[in-house]
Amino acid sequence: MSAIIFDGIVQGLQLSLLAVGITLIYGLGGVLNLAHGQFAIVGGVLASLLISKGIPPGISCLGGIAGAGVLGILVDRTLMLPAYRFRGEERLLLGLILTLGLSFVIDGYLNYQVPEFSLTLQLPVAMVEFAGIPMRTASLAASLVALAIFAGLFAFLKLTLLGKCIRSIIENEVGAELCGIDPSRTRTLIVCLAAMMAGVAGVTQGLFSSLGTEMGPEFTILGLLVAVVGGVRSINGTLAAGILLGIVNAFASHYVGAYVAYIILLSFAMATILVRPAGLLARFT
Amino acid sequence: MKKYNDLFLLGLLLAAVPLVTGGSPYYMRLATLALVYMAWTVAFNLIFGHTKQLFLCVGALAGSAAYMTVVLTKQLALSPWLSVPLGVATAAGLGALFSYVSVLRGLGVIFLGIVTLAFSLIFHNLVLGLRQFTNGETGLVTRGLGFPALEQALPSYYIFLAVLLGAFAVYGALMRSRMGLAVRALSDDELTAELSGINVTRYKVLAAAVASAILGLAGSLYAFYNGIVSPSVFSFVSVDIPVLIGLLLGGMRTRLGPILGAAAFAVIEELVRPFGQLNVLVYGFLLIVLFVAFREGIVVLLRKRLGVSLP
Repeated sequence: MSAIIFDGIVQGLQLSLLAVGITLIYGLGGVLNLAHGQFAIVGGVLASLLISKGIPPGISCLGGIAGAGVLGILVDRTLMLPAYRFRGEERLLLGLILTLGLSFVIDGYLNYQVPEFSLTLQLPVAMVEFAGIPMRTASLAASLVALAIFAGLFAFLKLTLLGKCIRSIIENEVGAELCGIDPSRTRTLIVCLAAMMAGVAGVTQGLFSSLGTEMGPEFTILGLLVAVVGGVRSINGTLAAGILLGIVNAFASHYVGAYVAYIILLSFAMATILVRPAGLLARFT
Repeated sequence: MKKYNDLFLLGLLLAAVPLVTGGSPYYMRLATLALVYMAWTVAFNLIFGHTKQLFLCVGALAGSAAYMTVVLTKQLALSPWLSVPLGVATAAGLGALFSYVSVLRGLGVIFLGIVTLAFSLIFHNLVLGLRQFTNGETGLVTRGLGFPALEQALPSYYIFLAVLLGAFAVYGALMRSRMGLAVRALSDDELTAELSGINVTRYKVLAAAVASAILGLAGSLYAFYNGIVSPSVFSFVSVDIPVLIGLLLGGMRTRLGPILGAAAFAVIEELVRPFGQLNVLVYGFLLIVLFVAFREGIVVLLRKRLGVSLP
């Protein structure tokens, strides 16, 4: 029982890591990024390429994550420009289609270039005992990384001037612009950060089992579900929703099987949109 | 009779295609597939082009009709004359439901997109999970279940041509009716349309229901024609993306656009077939380029270049 909950929390943190990027890009750029899972895959692929060149795994993983960030900057500065020219609904639609197209470009290219790719990372110690529950070192490491990133993100957003600028843009883009904040530069920074967080999620997936090129769409969808349930503008909500859906998924997979678990998650997200469009936990955040 | 001119011309032109292919089974199959995609694109134009409802579940709607039809025919030994209408009704009901719920809850284009995308995935996982009915990933063999005519190349072609022309005629009739006026008004500005006394809910739901019925009809018949119905036949990549690209390529909110676009897409697909896995990359690239640089489509381009009044 407690093992299932623990497992759910570990999965949930990974989901949050993906989803928070979607939330940030949506809040700041007004674009729902449908290529987010592919950012994670690119990070993982780069890390494994560096490892195969003989570079130590730790540095390779950092390189992969940085690579995902660079891809984020490139995408923001080139592909998304036509979308940023519009505002509101028009930008959302254009952004949605552009990132959908981007996801196909990345998927198609990686499937063609590295079809047999898989990233598997081995830690020196396989199992440790934590609070009386024997668990995999990989889960613990991945969760600690995710928690550290979230702590850093919250500190950055609450305490620094740049973080306050970012929150003001999420609140109201025109208003922030009137106060002298340049939304396009902050946007690039955030897309880069979001892509790097996706890269972290991609690399840590290699810790759990293995990461393959075909997992991009699945990552995108899971991230999207969590972002939607958490309320696509709220970062705390996303974190909570990730853990919640992780636990729901762990229980459902354990008792009713993977297909039904996935259907439950999807229905959960659908119901959230219909009943509480601002997110399940909108009132508390 | 003038208003039916383009229908007759299109019918004649497409009816002559089997003469050109010279009975080659490969090209006959391509031509028939192109007709199926044309019908789907005409329907999608009604949903996305005219009423701005982003349905990311074209494949799932067509597939739910197809699976409903095939499973009913197989499990309950129903006649296809009964099971096809039931399949079509399933698709129409689902389409109308999504549309109604989205208007009721005031979902923007993005949230309707997510809801319908979630439905696509639910459909896919249901098909994989309900193994005893659907035979999972392998799919169901439909040979010998449906109409005998759909197992021969030439009759199948003309059946799908009839479906396409039917869809085209229904589309034309709707756009000439009061609904056409209403839909044009609400695609410009929904709020203004509502304020001028147009029942926005009714027309959006009606458009979605009619279009989903067309999606379902083409899907059900395609399942019989194809000989097998499996999740990959109706997946997002094999239906939604071609239909979206076809519509953008041809021109949204035009009558001939979906047909020209789907035909052009069929040609492009044939051209990239030798490159295997890279076709997904080409689709993505097309989607980006079309949406950024070619949003008006072939029909508007021809109108401007040739100065002809294409519908």
